[in-house]
Amino acid sequence: MVTADEVAQFLGMAKTHFENAPGMMKSAVGYMEMVQKYVDRIRTAKDEGKFVATHGTQQPLEIYEAMDVVGVFNEAWGVLSTKVNQNTISEAMSVSSSTGTPEGVCSFFRNMDGLLHAGKWPKTDFFIHSSAACDNVKAFHTLGRRYNIPNFGMERPYLPHTRQAMEHWKNEHRRLIAFLEEKTGKKMDYDRLKETVRLSYRLTELTLEIDKLVQHVPCPMSWEAFGGTLLAVRLLPGTQYAVDYLTKLKAELQERVNNGIGAVKDERFRVMWTSFTPFWDMGIMGFMQERYGAVSVCEMLQRWRGDGQWLLDEDDPLGNLAYRTQLAPGNCQYSSCDDWAGECIDQAVKFQADGAIFNNNFGCKQGAGAGPMVREMLMKARGVPTLSLSCDVIDPNFVSRPEVVSQLDGFFEMIESNPMYQERMAARREAKLGVPA
Amino acid sequence: MNAPLNALSEMQRLTSPFAESITVKQWKADNKKVIGWIYPYLPEEMIHAAGMLPFKVAGDNEPVDMQAAEANIWANTCSFIRTCWQLALDGKYDFLDGLVVATQCDQDKRLFDVWKRHKNLGFMDILYVPHKRDEEAVKLYLADLEDFRDRLSNFRTRRVVDRELSKSIEVYNRGRALMAQLYELRKRDRPPITGAEALEISKLSTRLPREQFNELMEQLLDEIQRTGREIKKSRRLMILGNDVYNTTRIAALEGLDAVVVADEFNCGIRYAWGQVATDLPPMEALARYYVLTPPAGMHHWNSDERLAFIDKMADDYRVDGVVSGILRYCTYNGWDKFDLKQQMEKRNMPLLEIDMEYGHSAGAQVKVRAEAFMEMVESRAA
Repeated sequence: MVTADEVAQFLGMAKTHFENAPGMMKSAVGYMEMVQKYVDRIRTAKDEGKFVATHGTQQPLEIYEAMDVVGVFNEAWGVLSTKVNQNTISEAMSVSSSTGTPEGVCSFFRNMDGLLHAGKWPKTDFFIHSSAACDNVKAFHTLGRRYNIPNFGMERPYLPHTRQAMEHWKNEHRRLIAFLEEKTGKKMDYDRLKETVRLSYRLTELTLEIDKLVQHVPCPMSWEAFGGTLLAVRLLPGTQYAVDYLTKLKAELQERVNNGIGAVKDERFRVMWTSFTPFWDMGIMGFMQERYGAVSVCEMLQRWRGDGQWLLDEDDPLGNLAYRTQLAPGNCQYSSCDDWAGECIDQAVKFQADGAIFNNNFGCKQGAGAGPMVREMLMKARGVPTLSLSCDVIDPNFVSRPEVVSQLDGFFEMIESNPMYQERMAARREAKLGVPA
Repeated sequence: MNAPLNALSEMQRLTSPFAESITVKQWKADNKKVIGWIYPYLPEEMIHAAGMLPFKVAGDNEPVDMQAAEANIWANTCSFIRTCWQLALDGKYDFLDGLVVATQCDQDKRLFDVWKRHKNLGFMDILYVPHKRDEEAVKLYLADLEDFRDRLSNFRTRRVVDRELSKSIEVYNRGRALMAQLYELRKRDRPPITGAEALEISKLSTRLPREQFNELMEQLLDEIQRTGREIKKSRRLMILGNDVYNTTRIAALEGLDAVVVADEFNCGIRYAWGQVATDLPPMEALARYYVLTPPAGMHHWNSDERLAFIDKMADDYRVDGVVSGILRYCTYNGWDKFDLKQQMEKRNMPLLEIDMEYGHSAGAQVKVRAEAFMEMVESRAA
């Protein structure tokens, strides 16, 4: 099972690989540096006398940042771990199973469970989670009790846009600050919070600008930098570091658009990920580019809802943050299927998707209930077919690469024979958009 | 061998066939509406006050082939949800005029979505159930409840007024009190009913007009009093985990030398627990009851209270062993497994963990495990 030091070491090697590999986007190096920065903050936090919070998804990290609390996003830690060592997740999950945790719950949490049990999870002072997520966040309380780690849960109503829901959710942010103040003995500096909110909003603007560039045909974003926006927004919002990274990424994409450089020489398929990208084996995206000319153009997890304009009042940072959650990337998966499918349809239009892949994570109950409906609605509204792929979000042993490849072979063949796809390709050829004849 | 309880037989007659029973048919014949509900964290009182029949959506005593349901809800969803959807696809719930879902877990939200898309009813609603149990949660739930009242009133085309609600609260409080009396009787050395019978009563209560159920419950308690009924078994068991609707599963346990005297089910003790305050405005009373009163459930983040409640039940009902049944893919109960086991070990309480699919009866393998478990219970007792 991997430790934080091993994750850092791996990221250093990955960075060197991207620096030396021919034809890679420069931003892939910056991407690795950004993640290294994130991991280093976690590794050194205790030596620097900082508090560390392990947290779930959809968290107002700008508050942590303003209070010098270092966050460890449990899901991201699982994704990073699986890259370092293909067996680490199986090992951690087998430890988790030995404690009695069933295999049907989400691997992000089983991995955390196993690593905590083995003493390999980054040192944590408290757990923070919210109901703007899935049922698994209960684990934060369960594991908190087991390892004597205080926890705080933020309650967001299921229908978040009513007056009382918005007020309640904003108040939960106040309660989070009170919790952090009590645990750290430090008062919130609201001017600093305004600054982290400002930086976070700048990050949102940049992701929206990047979206516009990625929408180009041919798509300038290649797989090796694809996760950059996701991790900037999910791991380091409220930091100048993330803003700087996305600024550089945007500049590189702009340059590629200006020069007509696409992720692949002949773009044949534009693929959207309607749940998440293959975290258990990110190389699949590179393989798809190479073998099928299939470029990943968007992912549900990393796109803002609607126009993403969550800054309502510069003088009300908590109100802004509370609203930010509702528009945040990936938030639609914790809402209704209509909402999830609606977001995917919107993305299919904007990014001109030819096909979609819905990764059905074995432990995800939200996805298991929504997948069929998202697939059906996307097909009906936009004629975009979906490949539903059974997988485990981070365990590479659940589904093998050859199994995935055999499904991809059939999927792209099927798309190619679709008259709607053929029409789209003809139109792109007509517009001389650099697609193959 | 005890004679069957007449009142229970009558309840079974009135709720047969499942699900569109003679009672439902009669109710609909009177041009009245039936509203399905899932999970008891929404006030049936509100539906009752609107003059509609609240009807719990669930399976029954037979496993269901869920193949068609899995086209809409993949198989890595819990079998309770898939069962409900399959029954809906099979037309078993075609009599419903509406459906209200309490957002207890991720999966019931998805059942609601699928139902709305493929079998949209005249009234479809979803009510947020807080994961915390504090005053802020009460405030939120109360505001949501007011919205729910507005929507239901619009569906009825007449406001659900406080006076009607107060009356319904009285009716439901009476039902809870009667069910609680039955639970009290199960504390006896020789309880008057089996666990299978008790569960049957509890589940049928959700399929009958509450006034009718109350009347039959009174008869049942009277019958128990008159006949001096006793279940003569050596060992006392408690059942935990996800709601079991297939009572044959419990009957199989009770085929051994044991009687189930307690549970911690949503459709069991929680459903019978406490009273809605009658000295508060009815909406506030309902909000306070549903957020704060029934013992903490699996969906509450802080499971300390749930585990403490299980301990208390084990003490109060003097149980010799605990049987925990968790549905595959139940996230909440899954996360409590470790602590439950530790807790039972600490108090030297035999624990049998049977994780099965919803609706399945106890097969040979389970019977073998149950027999081994009973041997352990016997040896600990000795």
